Amino acid sequence: MSLLSRSRPAPPPPTLLPVHRPARIGRLVGWFRDPRNLLLAVVAVVVAYLALVPAGTMAVASLQTSFLSTAPTGWTLHHYTETLGEADFWTLVGNSFGYAAATAVISTVIGFGLAYLVTRTNTPAKFFARVAALIPLIIPGILNTVAWALLFAPHTGALNVLLRDMHLPAFNIYSLAGMVLVQSMHVTPVAFLMGTAAFTSMDSSLEEAALASGAPPWRVFRTITARLIRPAIMSAVLLMFVQTISTFEVPQLIGVPGRTFVFVSKIYNALQAFPTDYGTVGVIGVFILAVASGGLWLSRRLSGSGAAAQTITGKGFRPTSTDLGRWRWLGLAAFVVFFLVAVALPLLMLVWSSLLPGYEPPSISALHRLTLANYREIWHTPGLIDSVRNSLITAVIAGAVVTVISAIVAYITVKTKVPGRGLLDGLATVPLAVPSVVMGVGILYWYLTAPIPLHLYGTLTILVIAFVTIGLPYGLRYIVPGMAQIKDELEEAAATSGASWLRTFRTIYVPLLAPSLTAAFLYTVIVAFREISAAIFLYTQGTQVVSVTIYQQWSNGSYPIVAALGVLIVAFLALIVAVVSLLTRKTGLNRQ
Amino acid sequence: MIEVRGLTKRYPGRTVLRNAVDGIDLDVPEGKLVTLLGPSGCGKTTTLRLIAGLEKPDDGRISIGGTLMCAPSEGVYVGVHHRPIGVVFQSYAVWPHMTAVQNVMFPLRSGQKKLPKPEARRRAMEALEMVGLAEYADRPAPALSGGQQQRISLARALTREPEVLLLDEPLSNLDAGLRDRVRDEIRAVQQRLGITTVFVTHDQDEALAVSDEVIVMDHGRIVERGLAQDIYAWPREEFTARFMGISNSLPGTVTSADRDMAEIDLAHGRLRCLASGTPAVGSRVNVFIRPESLVLSRKDPSGRGWKGTVEFSIYHGDCWDYHVRVGDTLLRSRMYREKIGLAHGDPVFVVPEQETAIAITETPEGTADERTAGATVLAATTAADAAGQGEL
Repeated sequence: MSLLSRSRPAPPPPTLLPVHRPARIGRLVGWFRDPRNLLLAVVAVVVAYLALVPAGTMAVASLQTSFLSTAPTGWTLHHYTETLGEADFWTLVGNSFGYAAATAVISTVIGFGLAYLVTRTNTPAKFFARVAALIPLIIPGILNTVAWALLFAPHTGALNVLLRDMHLPAFNIYSLAGMVLVQSMHVTPVAFLMGTAAFTSMDSSLEEAALASGAPPWRVFRTITARLIRPAIMSAVLLMFVQTISTFEVPQLIGVPGRTFVFVSKIYNALQAFPTDYGTVGVIGVFILAVASGGLWLSRRLSGSGAAAQTITGKGFRPTSTDLGRWRWLGLAAFVVFFLVAVALPLLMLVWSSLLPGYEPPSISALHRLTLANYREIWHTPGLIDSVRNSLITAVIAGAVVTVISAIVAYITVKTKVPGRGLLDGLATVPLAVPSVVMGVGILYWYLTAPIPLHLYGTLTILVIAFVTIGLPYGLRYIVPGMAQIKDELEEAAATSGASWLRTFRTIYVPLLAPSLTAAFLYTVIVAFREISAAIFLYTQGTQVVSVTIYQQWSNGSYPIVAALGVLIVAFLALIVAVVSLLTRKTGLNRQ
Repeated sequence: MIEVRGLTKRYPGRTVLRNAVDGIDLDVPEGKLVTLLGPSGCGKTTTLRLIAGLEKPDDGRISIGGTLMCAPSEGVYVGVHHRPIGVVFQSYAVWPHMTAVQNVMFPLRSGQKKLPKPEARRRAMEALEMVGLAEYADRPAPALSGGQQQRISLARALTREPEVLLLDEPLSNLDAGLRDRVRDEIRAVQQRLGITTVFVTHDQDEALAVSDEVIVMDHGRIVERGLAQDIYAWPREEFTARFMGISNSLPGTVTSADRDMAEIDLAHGRLRCLASGTPAVGSRVNVFIRPESLVLSRKDPSGRGWKGTVEFSIYHGDCWDYHVRVGDTLLRSRMYREKIGLAHGDPVFVVPEQETAIAITETPEGTADERTAGATVLAATTAADAAGQGEL
């Protein structure tokens, strides 16, 4: 065995390199020479800056005697004592909690009910439910809100006209109940997706074992199914609550006309007023921030405890479906009603309004007035095309930035053992807990006052920063599972073939991750494109994005233009969503 | 005790015209343990689930203890929870939100006969005692190991004293060492209680160890049934022979035959073997020989040996496996204890043990079997592995 018996050359004697610098600095420089460590440091700083600065600025503003003024500033709790002492504030708390809690409960009940029918029963035509589940991606919240306002406007709303014709009382959408209705329709599909995930990850032999133990089906549902799914339900309720309490469009468009104020609309209107009470805005902002992060933390904990149920699903996993017998037609009816109410009604209303010169409820006589004039009008409305361009630019740049940062964060957290990687992962998900409104106001405050030489206020850059921060957790959600699927050996094999780390990342990870990267990019584009809750605080003349323009046109009463633009946006987003779902299906990634 | 006639299950939406279970008849006598054995997708688990009522058949009848459970043609279907059964699942299916004893009490508290709590607990503790887990009674179920969870699952299935125990691959999620212990425990409990049992597995060793009777299945049909030792020692079908790991198969022609024996002309010489029926003289057969039945030696005093050369050897601890080329076939021989120190290229004589080889008449599909013996072993093991991944 010549290979083994051949004697190895003696190792070269250790040579002592001359030391030019103190050893500590030398070690530090050496540490940064590894591109991975350098990347870690850069990305960690960027992510920490993005995640912590807006909320931090808001907290600081709430503690300062004067903000954005020439007067000397000092520290005070005055804003807190004053705001918390007002009776108005507690009405606001009551409204906000009532609105968010009712929405959360209703959407979770409907969403999980439908999810059960889809995953665990033989209800036909599940297609309807699955399509309806995509609506929050396809119909941005602002358009959903607009459509419902058109359907249920007190006097002229299409459905109210119908109700009056049938001698039934009309429904005034400009009320707390109206807010709950519109927001529920928007977030129910999210609850449905969470429910689908929870029901599919539950081993159905747990239920079969109970049946085989002699328990009748309803008892199995009560003692096994319902108990096992409970953490997921609680987690969904909390998430829906957080999402509802932190978004802008429904409180502003539906709540304010009916004088029902909640946190978000209060903040917006306080910032419109003069002189602006930045301190109070800060206090309310900190309050929502606390509620949202508390809710999210609790939700995470609950879904974590639910994992116990999932860890014991073994190899014998098989999804089984309950035969509903004749009742399955009732299930089908539920799908169809959900589809009609959540998708068809608002979309048809938008299409209808977009085809008429002025708003009027659907009727035979109105058919003669149908026209495409509104679509032509879009091109001539000042600022409208500009805002579409602004949206596209900011969304695409934000998408690209998020994809790059997420890929690096995912690599560091999944593939390396660098100390501090857990913290990095935590930082990157912080924006989930920061309500978009707080994000918007916080970024606004920071760039108005920050001691930095860049003047970003009034540029598109500030919008990109907001969209990147908001999109980061979503980008990670697509890339982390993709990264985890790539075995470590693939990188090691490249390294043992002599490739440098940068080359390995480029030639191994990037091609293998391509579907996840594309999905993360497109999803961030969608998130940025439909975003309004932060953008509404950050735009200036000339930097409107499309969601803001829709809001302004709506406020001006140009309903037909809003509808026509809305139809085009829905078509555009539907296309992107189709590409994303195709990509994720191909790679077997299942997000949400 | 269990009587199944013409049981058929089609899978909806499948374009392939093949039934998951295709007209099966089977009987499980009172107090016996019958194993359904077969590769992944052979329909054994579906058969068990049909007996349990977790799935509805398209045709056939099932009765348990003389009571008709299911007959689609007569519109009879007794719900799962009304059947006198206990089921142990492959994934344990131990409820994670309950303690061990709560799991075992559930059937007593939720079935048709509801026992008061103290009584239910006493009986559950007895069942836990039987599987040796009484001291873990108040532990939350997810805190227990896989083997313990599967024993909880067994206790839970037995606690309300069902007429029939159904076990769906109960061992395949367990580690190798644990598997033998839980297997022995299942057999011990079954024999002690004398409970009628159906046991589903893809593992032939497991099947041989626990069964009174083995039913071999393939493609939704029953291939062969018999006592465990008969299925092992004298399979009547090629599929069974291959599935039971008889890896040497040699084509030959019958030269003479009486009732259970036949003389076969092989490429390398003559051999007397077991043969079912009385195969016609001149008909083509495949002769299956276990590796243990091929003895290697450097000399050939009897003159019955086949001359070959050693390709390679594999050491297993208690035995050596030699792969020997004889003519253009590769034969596998297993030698226990004897260390004859053969290496690649050594000439050797292969002496087949008389009367343990089995001649099986070639089935029309099985003619001109190109698969080498080695490939067959591989196929059987990968099938077994695949079955472990869960099956349809």
